[in-house]
Amino acid sequence: MHVIRRLGAGALAAALVLTSSVAWAQTRIEFFFPVPVEGKLAREMTRLVKQFNDSQKDIEVTAVYTGSYDETKLKAQAAAKAGKPPSVVLMSANFTVDLKLAGDILSLEPFLAAEGTTREKFLGDFWPALHANATVDSELYGVPFHNSTPLLYINATHFKEAGLDPAKPPRTWVELVDAAKKLTKRDGEKVERHGFMMPGGYDYLGWLMSALSMSNGGRYFNESYGGEVYYDTPSMLGAAKLVEDLVYKHKVMPSGVIEAGGVSTAFFAGKASMVLLSTGSLSFIRENMKTPYDVAFVPRNVRNAVPIGGASLVMFKGQSEASQQAGWKFVRWLSSTDVLGGWSRFTGYFAPRKSAYDTAEMKDFITRNPDAKVALDQLAYAQPWFATYQTVAVRKALEDEMQAVMNGKKKAEQAVKDAQRKADELLRPYIDQTALKLP
Amino acid sequence: MRLDRHAGPALLAALVAAVAFVWVTPFLWTLVAAFRHESAGSAGMASLLPDFTPTLANFRLALESGEFGLYYVNTIIVVVGVLGVQLVTISLAGYAFARLEFPGRDVLFYVFLVQLMLVPAVLIVPNLRTTVDLGLYDTLAGVMAPYFASAFGTFLMRQTFRGIPRDFEEAAAIDGAPWWAIVWHVLLPMARPGLIAFAIVSVTAHWNEFLWPLMVINDPANHTLTIGLATFTKGAEGAKEWGVLAAGTLLVMAPLAVVFVAFQRRFVDSFVFSGIKG
Repeated sequence: MHVIRRLGAGALAAALVLTSSVAWAQTRIEFFFPVPVEGKLAREMTRLVKQFNDSQKDIEVTAVYTGSYDETKLKAQAAAKAGKPPSVVLMSANFTVDLKLAGDILSLEPFLAAEGTTREKFLGDFWPALHANATVDSELYGVPFHNSTPLLYINATHFKEAGLDPAKPPRTWVELVDAAKKLTKRDGEKVERHGFMMPGGYDYLGWLMSALSMSNGGRYFNESYGGEVYYDTPSMLGAAKLVEDLVYKHKVMPSGVIEAGGVSTAFFAGKASMVLLSTGSLSFIRENMKTPYDVAFVPRNVRNAVPIGGASLVMFKGQSEASQQAGWKFVRWLSSTDVLGGWSRFTGYFAPRKSAYDTAEMKDFITRNPDAKVALDQLAYAQPWFATYQTVAVRKALEDEMQAVMNGKKKAEQAVKDAQRKADELLRPYIDQTALKLP
Repeated sequence: MRLDRHAGPALLAALVAAVAFVWVTPFLWTLVAAFRHESAGSAGMASLLPDFTPTLANFRLALESGEFGLYYVNTIIVVVGVLGVQLVTISLAGYAFARLEFPGRDVLFYVFLVQLMLVPAVLIVPNLRTTVDLGLYDTLAGVMAPYFASAFGTFLMRQTFRGIPRDFEEAAAIDGAPWWAIVWHVLLPMARPGLIAFAIVSVTAHWNEFLWPLMVINDPANHTLTIGLATFTKGAEGAKEWGVLAAGTLLVMAPLAVVFVAFQRRFVDSFVFSGIKG
């Protein structure tokens, strides 16, 4: 199997035809974007693109909504293979390694060089935790656009009811389990209110499991080599056991797989007292939560650590020179301090640029919304998001096993073993081409 | 002990009603939630009981989030276009496999059926490449093209034709009718239930399809209903605006539901006749 695929000549020709068919000097490019949170964001993104188009005459960007993160990757890669690569794509931040290995995306180094800057200088304004996912093999491949970390949301009213202090949310796993037990309301065997809930759907679950294993001292994956994940390890086993115990031993979390929408709905409805959700949900929760709530770091067992999440802008190969330049201009505009700051305030994601927090609008916003400050403070403990060869499939290997645990069909010990075996099989072709390709 | 003469049927009716209720609950909830005030909050969202003051605000929000009129037109073009071509191809192919004698016919038929086993996702890249080569990328024709031939439809029509006694065709042949006249005037009218059954399956499948249109279409002017709906159902990290979600879902499924209710008797008859149920 070829790890690096060469781009077909047909793709290039198609791209040339596409651009040269425009009569005047205007360059038309396509921008694929997923809707990471909800419909309102799709409207806001469309508005931003229109604003860019109206602001200048040289480039006309078509914003194409492309489903979820996984579907966006599928569509962009299928389009590239079929000879219709998009120019710019907003891609889940951890897909850069996979896309680079597949030979689909452009190194952004030449663009930086043309501007007379370096990667270090360019990334200097971005939070350090984001650098790893933006670079592959010491070259810049993605520009962070919006980012998140997992966050613990607590219902302050429930805390008071249960005799807990909402100003002191659980900081450790011991405190988490303890609080969850006190917060869970039972009516005989029936649970009326769960002390703790977390989403179990694809994508979210893998991300939260990496948060829990990192909080347990683990790493989840090898940051410098895309062929290794650490599923069958004490740190991941501990995380998996914690989830299993929350459901079946302490009975403070519902069994089964509940999607993120269900978890936040349960939180609003007062059916769950603590939930683990993304900082990306912050604006939505702020707008919809009727009773007092608070936010806190993800509780630790060994150390405070969370993975980052979110999305980066990447540029696909197979574009004409003019399209590439137009794409880069658009990327620069979208990742400017003002646009990132505005998008951050609109969504709840944090802005990847530090300078966005120096603006008057942002300072004012943080003062009015102290919960946004907690999300920002947790950034000091943020780790890179897992990114490997075949990232999605390797992630699902763990998620399928964890879902079996949450459904009560498997024990944590067996689940992490099976997940590791499946992941290793998936990584095998890459390992054979790299680490085990010996002279 | 013998049950009371009326208890049996009553018990059965209660059981059927209970099962029906389980089936209808999601639809009922969608209907109720679509008209519920957002101020009811999520707490009231799970309730099946309608509010006393229904609102159309959710529909307004849903309609604002996309050009539903355009999505309807596009979806109808796709569904009707696919079905129109399919009816021709499956009738002719079904006739060939049912009536014509040629070497390798049965082998060819089984090979044809093998495509039913393929997971559609495997075909995305090859199909997309063909679509681009044909110049159909980002067009509604590109969305339709891969479905113009249908293995399932061909199979269904072959079985339907084989179920019709040859006497009718022979009578027509004696009168000097050519093969196409036999197909048109004799076989197709008798195969109508099979065609209707296939039409329902085809229309619902393409009405609800998401992944392939998402792959082919870039231009928002070519979006279909499912893609329009997805802009507020596919959120990864946020919570859901259930009311808007329900209203949008209702907008997407309403036309099909109305058609089905209107022609219910006919559809059920067709399914029973053609032997595909459930």
